[in-house]
Amino acid sequence: MIELRDITKIYTRGSVTFTALKDISFNINKGDYCTVVGSSGAGKSTLLNIIAGLVHPDSGNIYYNRSDIYQQKAGDLNNYRRKRLGFVFQQFYLMPYLTVAENIRLACHNKQHAGKLDFYLGKFSLSGMGNKYPSELSVGEKQRTAFIRAIISEPEMLLADEPAGNLDPGNRSVLMNLIGEYHKNGGTVILVTHDPSMSEHSNISITLEKGMIQNNTMRVPSTQK
Amino acid sequence: MNALRLIIKELLYRKISSLIILFTVIIASAVSVGIYSLSKASENETRKIMREQGLNLYIFPKGTNLIDFYSANNTPCFPENYIHVLAESKTFDAVRHLTGILQVKYPDWKDHNGSSHQILLVGYKDEAMQRFLPEQEIMGTDVVKGTVQVGALVARNIPEGAQFTITGNDGRQYSFDIARRLGEGKGMIDQGVAFNLADLQMLLGMEGKINKIEALGCVCKDGRINNSRKQVQAIFADLEVTEISSIADARENQRLMMNKYGAFIIPFIIISCLLITGFLFYQNINARKYEIGLLKALGNSTGSILMMILAKAFILGLAGAVTGFFAGTLVAEYFGKEIFLFTATSIKPLWNLFWYSLLIFPVLWMLSSWIPALIASQTDAAKVLAEEY
Repeated sequence: MIELRDITKIYTRGSVTFTALKDISFNINKGDYCTVVGSSGAGKSTLLNIIAGLVHPDSGNIYYNRSDIYQQKAGDLNNYRRKRLGFVFQQFYLMPYLTVAENIRLACHNKQHAGKLDFYLGKFSLSGMGNKYPSELSVGEKQRTAFIRAIISEPEMLLADEPAGNLDPGNRSVLMNLIGEYHKNGGTVILVTHDPSMSEHSNISITLEKGMIQNNTMRVPSTQK
Repeated sequence: MNALRLIIKELLYRKISSLIILFTVIIASAVSVGIYSLSKASENETRKIMREQGLNLYIFPKGTNLIDFYSANNTPCFPENYIHVLAESKTFDAVRHLTGILQVKYPDWKDHNGSSHQILLVGYKDEAMQRFLPEQEIMGTDVVKGTVQVGALVARNIPEGAQFTITGNDGRQYSFDIARRLGEGKGMIDQGVAFNLADLQMLLGMEGKINKIEALGCVCKDGRINNSRKQVQAIFADLEVTEISSIADARENQRLMMNKYGAFIIPFIIISCLLITGFLFYQNINARKYEIGLLKALGNSTGSILMMILAKAFILGLAGAVTGFFAGTLVAEYFGKEIFLFTATSIKPLWNLFWYSLLIFPVLWMLSSWIPALIASQTDAAKVLAEEY
């Protein structure tokens, strides 16, 4: 499904260069749950953004269903993000002037998606909150709203960047269960985190250090043992 | 999610910034409309004032001695139909308000007491319309056939209610109703009588003849008199043009003053408002970088983000243009009453200016937001979404 080949990304600031990623190669198949673990500055977010089509690598190729996403036209790349991917961020990035329902509708591309809004609000304990603004929500409610926005268009792949970074243990557990449920329903997950304990749901665990893969493990997730 | 709804909700959420931008459009639009309306009112006022002073160009037969023209009664004449030829000529556009005139001294007019006076007789032809030029209000003296307008000094010698009676060239007595007794200070006509041209021609046996055309010269690039003279002489080489420079100068100075005033103030205000708007849009884009990053991550194109910012500028520009138009018109009406004597009550909304405002201000405000919109559309979503906020 996703194939990364020799991805290298170097940032230059003035005369200083910083290699964020070096010769990264791995495959992720449909239905995989991949965790990318590493300390701050290891290149996790850069890797996720490259997969998301937001950051061009300096060298290497990334194939989605055998098509190099960075060889596509800008419109096709936008469509790839819109139709294939769902994003969960550490910050929820809810628009403060839009209601819960309107925030979620930002990710709806057709009436079918929008028609599922009530279903998801009910499923994620947000019934009756569609007309509330983000400032009126608790952290957990914001997190669930952002999660519905990520999955309402039924993306093939969920990209999560430190999704539990700002959450208390209770909300963190809820979020991980939601991601787990998305995965069980056939979704592909790529989650980057600095916390190794969050890889317990995944079947692929990649450890990054200084922009290079230190460890690439395929295993049976502990939750399925 | 409907893009318009997103724009309106964002606009209402960031009320202060939106209101300041709206205010800048209103100021720019109101100042432009107000000054333009006042300058139009000033032009009309000048026209009314200048009308009292008369037309500024005299066209005579070549070789006319102007001293003789005012003192003798045998100055050269030319055919009345010259005026129609001039009015119909499409190369003749430097002169407007063509009025054919027959002006003679009448040395022996007898008043009701039988006293004899030398008076001036002036016959006015209806103003000739140059149909290929935009229509203008008539400026010439309009005397209805069968009536006369008597100057203040002549009027003193005619009892109230009496007719004006004069002996014609054929020795017969002719009587005319007095349509108007003119006030003092009207120049030479104080000691004269204004006729309809046809009446005076019949009285003097000079049918089809005039000896002067009074007109209004334009303010032209190569000098008002030169252009008028060139155009007249290209058609009738036997005519010459003289300018009454005091009237022409006053008219031109008034017009130039208003033009200069408007030419400085309007661009100054508009450019200042555009700079403020550009700065506010830039701030707005900075405040919204996470939103823009998110929209990009959700697959919105660079073009759609650019259009979203420009559409916001367009909406504010449109709302400000409408409000500013009415505010500017109200200001012009209010101050116009204080400034102008003759046209105080005739300052009305200039609707063609309204339509121009609806076009110009939204476009200008979109231009002022262009650079911030470009910056927004180039937002690096990966970078901003990775920042703490």
